[in-house]
Amino acid sequence: MSAEPIQPKQREESAGLMKYSAENLVPFGPIHPALKEPEYFKLILEGERIVQVIPRIGYVHRGLEKAAETRPWVQNMYMFERTCGICSFVHSLAYGQAVEGLTIYEVPRRAKFIRLIIAEMERIHSHLLWVGLMGHWAGFETLFMWVWRDREVVLDLVEAISGNRIHKSMNAFVGVRRDMPEGMEDRIVERMKFLVDRARYYKEIIDTEETMLERTEKVGKLSQDTAEKLCVVGPMARYVGLQKDVRLNDPYAAYDEVPFDIIIRNEADVHALLQLRLDELVASANMISYAVQHLPDGPIRVKIPPIIPAGEHSTHCEAPRGEIFYYVKSGGGRTPERVKVRTPTLANLPAALEILKGQTIADVPIVLTAIDPCFGCMDRMSFLDTETNRQWTWSGEELRQYGINHYFPERAKK
Amino acid sequence: MGFIFDWLDRKTAARMQGRIGPKITGPSGILQPLADFLKLLFKEEIIPSHADKVIFLFAPALYFLAPLLSMLFIPIIALTPTAGFDFDLLVILFLLAFAAFVIAVLSYSSASSFTTIATGRLVLQYVSYEIPLVLAIVTAAIYSRSLSVEGIVTSQTGLWNVFVMPFAFGVYVIALMAELEKPPFDIPSAKTEIVAGWLTEFSGRALAFLKLTKEVGYVFGSALAVSLFLGGPLGPQMGASVPAPVQYFAYFMVKLLAVGFLIFVLKTALARVKIAQATELFWKVLTPVSLAQLALVLVLIQGGILLAA
Repeated sequence: MSAEPIQPKQREESAGLMKYSAENLVPFGPIHPALKEPEYFKLILEGERIVQVIPRIGYVHRGLEKAAETRPWVQNMYMFERTCGICSFVHSLAYGQAVEGLTIYEVPRRAKFIRLIIAEMERIHSHLLWVGLMGHWAGFETLFMWVWRDREVVLDLVEAISGNRIHKSMNAFVGVRRDMPEGMEDRIVERMKFLVDRARYYKEIIDTEETMLERTEKVGKLSQDTAEKLCVVGPMARYVGLQKDVRLNDPYAAYDEVPFDIIIRNEADVHALLQLRLDELVASANMISYAVQHLPDGPIRVKIPPIIPAGEHSTHCEAPRGEIFYYVKSGGGRTPERVKVRTPTLANLPAALEILKGQTIADVPIVLTAIDPCFGCMDRMSFLDTETNRQWTWSGEELRQYGINHYFPERAKK
Repeated sequence: MGFIFDWLDRKTAARMQGRIGPKITGPSGILQPLADFLKLLFKEEIIPSHADKVIFLFAPALYFLAPLLSMLFIPIIALTPTAGFDFDLLVILFLLAFAAFVIAVLSYSSASSFTTIATGRLVLQYVSYEIPLVLAIVTAAIYSRSLSVEGIVTSQTGLWNVFVMPFAFGVYVIALMAELEKPPFDIPSAKTEIVAGWLTEFSGRALAFLKLTKEVGYVFGSALAVSLFLGGPLGPQMGASVPAPVQYFAYFMVKLLAVGFLIFVLKTALARVKIAQATELFWKVLTPVSLAQLALVLVLIQGGILLAA
């Protein structure tokens, strides 16, 4: 797009960049072995210390919010599931809850429990994946391999319940699509015990392995003030001591009926994050065991007509990465009028950039992974003028006006 | 031999990690490293536009020479090496330094932002491990009263050096891991941070030879450890009918593989450290330890408690 912007809010985000010569600039991404998903981070260094990080996002922006406006409600549920592989269930859960809030129907109790079970299993799988990745970035390949092998346990369970390892497609309006198969309870409880043992073993490794400690202790420090100002969510908030957990603060699904502990750490470094996520894993495993053993009987689903009444509703859920927020607006038709998604990585990314200042290059993959990034969920569109190195974003109104100017030049406002 | 070491390395690491490792090429995947090497030879060579072309193309060959030449001085199938002479240990030390210097030049000649960082780390790491490494080697030399590898080997007919100076052996192995850039010291070629470090811009034939040199360097480093500390090809007489070269070869191989395994296991079980931490380790811990070991050996020789053969 090379058209003239119409009074955009031009924020000079690259101001002060010119004084750094090209030698100090290391491009991290968009393609880099350390990034699972492409995003561009311009690292400005002095020697090995990072002075500033300038991000450029938008590499995996797919326009899902716009695409949702032309698809029927049910189809959107499956589309939003595919925003991300690792937090797929939570996306469809949040969307489902937002839409269910517009209707008069209540989610059956059994469905709520099953939702909790699957959501917690997803949390376990995500945290195991993350711990493995931390090992990988620290050069500790063996940890990575072992943890991912244990992750197979959870994935097998998920496959037994939902038929798929990653995109579980369990949610429906209103409730869940599939029931817990016969005889799963014992198997789940036993596998959860196994996972808890393994988590304890990994915690021990992280606490005692010298090389791992050197890479993770005192790395990734964030003060509680900065964290609050930057509005971090999820484990990033809890590792600086903030009591932010949607499951506790605003329970959804069956979280008000299943007891669990919120895990908080105060030493704000990556080592604390590792401990925190492994503790959360143990808590999730216990939650699953409890829920499975106290699963209420009843229907799992209430079928509803394909037209959702007009109105607007928003929900938030605790994804493995933090608070995920969905806003849905209905005009009373077969497709939504507006869906807005705010994923935790978007909230945590400024914090990551803040943490990176003063760290060395070796810490970059560790810190970036510490926020558990999911750029696929997060992406937004932004403009970049490469000649003057200016970045800006448009508001919704500006975008709309641009569209009008483009298609109807006679109606263009100057 | 380099290929065999690489294959053993990958299999051991794989098994330790719960995987299987190379399996298909050749029996148990033994031809995999060879296949990788050949594949690289066929790939297109891309030279970055900013790079110094002469050095870029010429230096890998120089680098390859260093461990290759050094192997000439190690006795394997007899007590005299292929081309030994009285001061060959000094030549080996020179070649070690030369190799590191060539890498630094190589790394700097491919002028990209990743390699520049890698060069910095490389030089820093080199400076750090060089002293403990040389001290360890020198301790063995002083004890054996000889500056030739052959002399050191023959002096161990009574007792292997490793029992006299175990710390020197330990220091040597750790410094060797730094020289070879194996975890926990694979900082200059940290895969997840600066792409491939100083290897980043190389492709095709140059990369094939660089990788091969690393493997040969691995073999050589272990071979030197075996010669200096584990008594080289010496060992109890196997039997009257076994010809001497075969016996020497057998013992040498067994010890070589043992040292190799030690490094494979260590490398798989540890994470990578940061360059600042590695430097700390070498200067604050290993150098004093190797100095202390040297002092200890000197004192023991003076006191007549230990006598060189």
